[in-house]
Amino acid sequence: MKKTKISFSGVLLPLAFGALVLIIWQTELLHKIIGTNTFTLPLPTTIIRIIGENLDSISANAFDTIEVALIGLVLGSIIGYLISILAAIFPKWGSGGLKVIALLSAIPIIALAPVITNLTKDFSTIAPERSMFAKIVLVTLLSAVSMSVGVYRGLTDLKPFSEDLLQTYAATKFDIFIKLRLPNSVSYIFTALRVSIPTAIISTLIAEYFAEYITGVGRQIRENIITSQYSTAWAYITVACAIGIIAYMFLVLAERLYKKKKHKI
Amino acid sequence: MKLKKILFSSTFITIVWIVLLCSIWELEALHIEQIKRTPEKVFPHLMQIFESIADPKIISNDQTSIELVLTNAYATLERAGIGFLIGALSGFILALLMKFSGIIEKIAFPYLMLIQMIPILGMAPIVFAITQDIGVSRIVISGVLTFYPVAANTLAGLKSVSAENENLFRSYSANVFQTYTKLYIPTSIPFLFTGLKISAPLAITASILVDTLQGGVGLGCLLSQSLKGGMSPFVFWQIIFLSAAIGILSLQVMVIAEKIIMSHKVRWNREKNKNLI
Amino acid sequence: MSNEITIKNVNMVYGEGGGHRELRNPARGTVALKDVNLDIKKGEFISLLGPSGCGKTTLLRIIANLQNQTSGNVEVAGGTPEQARKSRKYGIVFQSPVLQDWRTIRQNVELPLEISHYPKSKRHELSEAMLRLVGLEKFKDVYPNELSGGMQQRVGIARALIMQPEILLMDEPFSALDEFTRDKLQEDLLNIWSRSLCTVVFVTHNIAESVYLSDRVCVMSPRPGRLSAVIDIDLPRPRKLAMRDTVEFVEYVSKVRNSFEGI
Repeated sequence: MKKTKISFSGVLLPLAFGALVLIIWQTELLHKIIGTNTFTLPLPTTIIRIIGENLDSISANAFDTIEVALIGLVLGSIIGYLISILAAIFPKWGSGGLKVIALLSAIPIIALAPVITNLTKDFSTIAPERSMFAKIVLVTLLSAVSMSVGVYRGLTDLKPFSEDLLQTYAATKFDIFIKLRLPNSVSYIFTALRVSIPTAIISTLIAEYFAEYITGVGRQIRENIITSQYSTAWAYITVACAIGIIAYMFLVLAERLYKKKKHKI
Repeated sequence: MKLKKILFSSTFITIVWIVLLCSIWELEALHIEQIKRTPEKVFPHLMQIFESIADPKIISNDQTSIELVLTNAYATLERAGIGFLIGALSGFILALLMKFSGIIEKIAFPYLMLIQMIPILGMAPIVFAITQDIGVSRIVISGVLTFYPVAANTLAGLKSVSAENENLFRSYSANVFQTYTKLYIPTSIPFLFTGLKISAPLAITASILVDTLQGGVGLGCLLSQSLKGGMSPFVFWQIIFLSAAIGILSLQVMVIAEKIIMSHKVRWNREKNKNLI
Repeated sequence: MSNEITIKNVNMVYGEGGGHRELRNPARGTVALKDVNLDIKKGEFISLLGPSGCGKTTLLRIIANLQNQTSGNVEVAGGTPEQARKSRKYGIVFQSPVLQDWRTIRQNVELPLEISHYPKSKRHELSEAMLRLVGLEKFKDVYPNELSGGMQQRVGIARALIMQPEILLMDEPFSALDEFTRDKLQEDLLNIWSRSLCTVVFVTHNIAESVYLSDRVCVMSPRPGRLSAVIDIDLPRPRKLAMRDTVEFVEYVSKVRNSFEGI
């Protein structure tokens, strides 16, 4: 009885709050508060209508964005994981290298995007192809950074005495790696993904700003604002948010499944 | 023996890595030099970039290139700073409110999660369209990006207070104000710094990105201009290096601030780790 | 002598509302305490002894007004536990020292005084005296992380005693310490107590410790948590560590141990 009551208010209260925001938005009260008009900030119903009307072009652009983000994320995560394994094998040099990598992650994405675009110009003679390649390289780079730093901790922060225990059984370094370090790192992968999934999406959007070829949700937001098509821009913003939320939900789901499986064993 | 100590010190290892990165850069620059007609646009040597910084040639409004870049960097940094402070403060206050009131926590928590999933930076152009003011947009975007890491981490800190500590304060019948100022807030400070370390570079990224949306001053604005050409390509590279330096520096400033404020805590943690080993 | 604490027909059932989150049992209706009756005299040193799950900590927490009993009545110093807590009659020591690592030793000891708005000069005067009493006057300006576990627990005791509480509540304060440190602290505690004359309720699972320290040992047993025996310890005071080798002491220890056998 008590438990259902808790989750009930935990769901209902935020929903009520969200509904309240939507109502003051739809009734144009919000526009009065922040001092804007329905042209720059269209009503929710208008945004939904625009999405419906432009479903084809929106889904094509969304597909381009998702493709870049996903390929970059997967490639980057694999590379980052391999880097962290290398670093864990040579911890003295590895931790130093990762420290430098972590430092580099503080570099603004915007500084990287144009450099990479310049560097990858020779990849292909077809603009959309080389443009996409440049974007993927950027996302890969950033995903690799967060994965390598995050997983390294999982490979090295072992439970106290667990390594000693295996050593008393004369386990080799390889055994310890397979039986202790790798399993220990799995939950850290999820933690790293919590950071790198939003980062991958954001860096895709920003890479699109600087890309040679005009495509993708992020670029469309910008292009539509330049041409004062605010409601279309809002439609793309809504789609960008939806992509972010859905990607995150997939991650949470995957994490739950993993934990469930682990508990069964 | 002494040599070995130096060879394996962490500073030495860091230096070796930085040297290694620079060598990779130089190799790539050499490679580009051979295949491109204007290599300084694509990938110049590090030395060339440093030389350009010292170049006394005036390129616009009585300013040498580095003076121009620094003036713009200052404008960017200032707005990022304001946004960062506002975002950090409101994030901290929200975390306190969420700890204080269960109802506020229930309402705010899902939305706090949502902010994390939404690509805020992608919304920069529309924020600019609504506010019609580039300075305000910078502050808003930097602020929102700072807000989430600070609020989430501070909340985690406030919740990390042990039950025994809460009991102790209850047994002395301490009032709410005392419990917050003497227990909850001091405990949450290290967590607050974790949040600040994440958000400081984000605030700077945000400010530079918003710069690119309009002419005027700011690193990002200068970046767009230099990308369109018409300026020495080294202005572009100076911007890139300076942005990187500011990003890294902002993180380091937070690390140093944390060390100063938390000097006892840091020592305590180290002791604790020693005991584990 | 008058009663300091009177416990009448106290029952504690978890899972039916109330209770502390740390101790709340997911299974509904777990009986943590059943019909506990106990009178504690003013100035008495009493131990609550038993294995884990016997409700000794729960009983202490009810006395401290950190949680409420399901039924029954507890009277502390002629009022409710809440009144006693509000008028700051309690000093409390936990298993871990629970020190604030951003405060110096002196500032940690002064914490209860700060909460009660004592002026600074008075705080210094009291903390100075208290730190001398627990033998830590040299360490007043260092931070907790620089002290050993035993010294940290001493700070915890000094903090509990600084308000000169009527009632000192101790929840397994020495169980995390090594035996050498524990012996020393037990002896010191008796010294300090003999000077302050407060009432002590001491929770422990160590039989020798309870016999050595207490006037009375309250033996508690689990499932359901209840008070199964109360044993008077008529050993002379002041007690010294060497007393533990006497025949009388050993007999008391075995008497207490035997009281568990019928359970």
